[in-house]
Amino acid sequence: MPDQTPTSIIKARDLHKCYWVGTMPFPALHGINLDIEPGEFTVLAGRSGSGKSTLLNLIGALESADNGSVEVLGENILAMGRDQRTRFRLQNIGFVFQAYNLIRVFSARENVAYVCQLQGKGRKKSMEIADHWLHEVEIGHLGYRRPDQLSGGQQQRVAVARALASEPKIILADEPTANLDSMTGRRLIHLMQDLNRRLGTTFLISSHDPDVKQAAGRLIKLADGQIVDAWDNIPKPPIAPASACPVENLPLTKRLRNYLREARKKALNKRGHKMNEDQH
Amino acid sequence: MTRSTSTLNSIVLTVALRNLLGHLRRTLLTVGAIAVGLAALIFLWGFNEGLHRNMLGNFQNAIIGAVQIHHQGFFQHPELSRAIRNPERIVTGLEKAGVARYSRRLETFGLAVSDTTTQGVMLIGMDPTQEQLVTELAKRIGIGRFLQPGDDYKLILGATTANNLQAKLGDEVIIIGYDRYGAMVAESFTLAGIITSGEMGLDSGMAITSLSTLQEMVDLPEQVTTFVINVEEKRIPSLVDELDHALRGESLEIMPWYSMFPVMKEWIILHNGFLYLFIGVVIFIVLAGELNTMLLSMLERTREFGVLMAIGTSRRQVAMMMLAEAVLIGIIGIASGILLGYVIILVTAEIGIDLSILLGSTSRFYVDPLIYPHLKLDHLGLTIGAILLASILAGIYPAWRASLLQPAEAVRNG
Repeated sequence: MPDQTPTSIIKARDLHKCYWVGTMPFPALHGINLDIEPGEFTVLAGRSGSGKSTLLNLIGALESADNGSVEVLGENILAMGRDQRTRFRLQNIGFVFQAYNLIRVFSARENVAYVCQLQGKGRKKSMEIADHWLHEVEIGHLGYRRPDQLSGGQQQRVAVARALASEPKIILADEPTANLDSMTGRRLIHLMQDLNRRLGTTFLISSHDPDVKQAAGRLIKLADGQIVDAWDNIPKPPIAPASACPVENLPLTKRLRNYLREARKKALNKRGHKMNEDQH
Repeated sequence: MTRSTSTLNSIVLTVALRNLLGHLRRTLLTVGAIAVGLAALIFLWGFNEGLHRNMLGNFQNAIIGAVQIHHQGFFQHPELSRAIRNPERIVTGLEKAGVARYSRRLETFGLAVSDTTTQGVMLIGMDPTQEQLVTELAKRIGIGRFLQPGDDYKLILGATTANNLQAKLGDEVIIIGYDRYGAMVAESFTLAGIITSGEMGLDSGMAITSLSTLQEMVDLPEQVTTFVINVEEKRIPSLVDELDHALRGESLEIMPWYSMFPVMKEWIILHNGFLYLFIGVVIFIVLAGELNTMLLSMLERTREFGVLMAIGTSRRQVAMMMLAEAVLIGIIGIASGILLGYVIILVTAEIGIDLSILLGSTSRFYVDPLIYPHLKLDHLGLTIGAILLASILAGIYPAWRASLLQPAEAVRNG
């Protein structure tokens, strides 16, 4: 990956994370370097166990890395204490989870208002903000329903509204469409894209849903805890075979074009080696 | 309190309350356990207090009263040489202290003689009119009648003593004693009444006559050995202090009942001790029950807590949610328990609890078989405080565990 840029809103360097089950190590991330710029709509793609969620958790200051650093909005979040991280998340990061994870004893608007109240806003003001964001995600009329009275798609919209209500700079979404049918998932992604464009909020989404990947402004592919591929997707180019996709023709940044050129060379070399081996 | 703090407190309370309502059956079971436990404790306290009052009342009303005044050393060595020198001074002191119910007595030892046998007795001379203000001896006469004003040379005996002497109503009983000079004197009395109380102290070894008769017999006109006072239990310590102060220099001993018969006091303390032990057991059960509920709640909501932490809820707030839930359960349980316990006390205090079904005769221990529970506010306060403390303790461990959750792990594995 290229060196840090002064405009990065998220900057990860040499991130390592390993989980342990008893004495068995399960490496999750292995030397991740990543820069995300403000306003990006980035998708982390990869199979289950590739390290997408772990990377999101580290960026969201939800857990600690074994090695490396993560700077979010210029703050080294891994050096923060637990309470400091909590305050940082409250002010700067919104979360959308795969299983919606709404507070089941609260109505939709109370769920959204909750984060505003945590920020110290009064109940009335918080409810006004909640109504606004529920309206934004097109379920303003369902504000008084409890999560168990909403469909999966509606619940995820509440989750998005909740993530936006604290007016964060970044929204981290972990497999937001995984529990939704494809139509609902597509609607949700379009909604998030729209919010990204209109509000300029940075979205970092982990997903293996093709629709989400298709919608990505930038796609980063992980495998075995490493970034194996990445490209910008604005405007959406057809994902062509390596040989038929001249990197120079794509509207990419210089650094990404260089990165992809290198990656492609590596892939061709690898393929060449494989063909030679097959011939032998 | 700042507005934001009050908002946060209100969220914490709202989440706690909603969760309790969200698990209504579990909440009701826990609340019910606390309520039943507290109601049982309230009833036990009430019953215990009713029993003690009954027993102490009977004990005091039987013969000894609440407080006695003697000449210094008379209680240990009841000799006529220790008669009170200046009874009028004591009367003035009592009136000054606002004591209206007191009685004068002359007490000595003697030997009762019938046609067939003899029996040692405590010979008490008392004014029948004054005595009825202080004790309920008259109510304990089973055969014949109690002394009346002007009854000279009439005698009341305990049932056991009368039986030993084989004396019947109207029989002549000779009492042999010593006068103030130590000379032997004998007098003849007519048996007018027999005490059949069932209480050991009264039925055995007691011979009662009028004060004037005994004064004449032992040649101590106008003199007494004992003042017996009847006041409410809570008034005793301050009255003793007041009289001690007012009668200083008179060589008197002012003795509350518990100084004269400490065994009775110790028995009550021991009895209360058992009750404290029982309260401890009940509170332990309440604590264990509520702890179980809270731990279940915490485990069920691990993911929820992880999410709450992820979106900006502090560890302290998460802990407060659990603690608030535990305290709310405690408060609702306590309120229900008070209500239930109060109704039980109200009903049983009205109809009484008949111990004779279980215990047979209880009069040997100065206990009426019918007990009327009575609840003291300090006992209620103590029990409520202990259960509230148990509720807080039941919330502390799950709250601490919840606050230690790692958000990512809790969301992943919850």
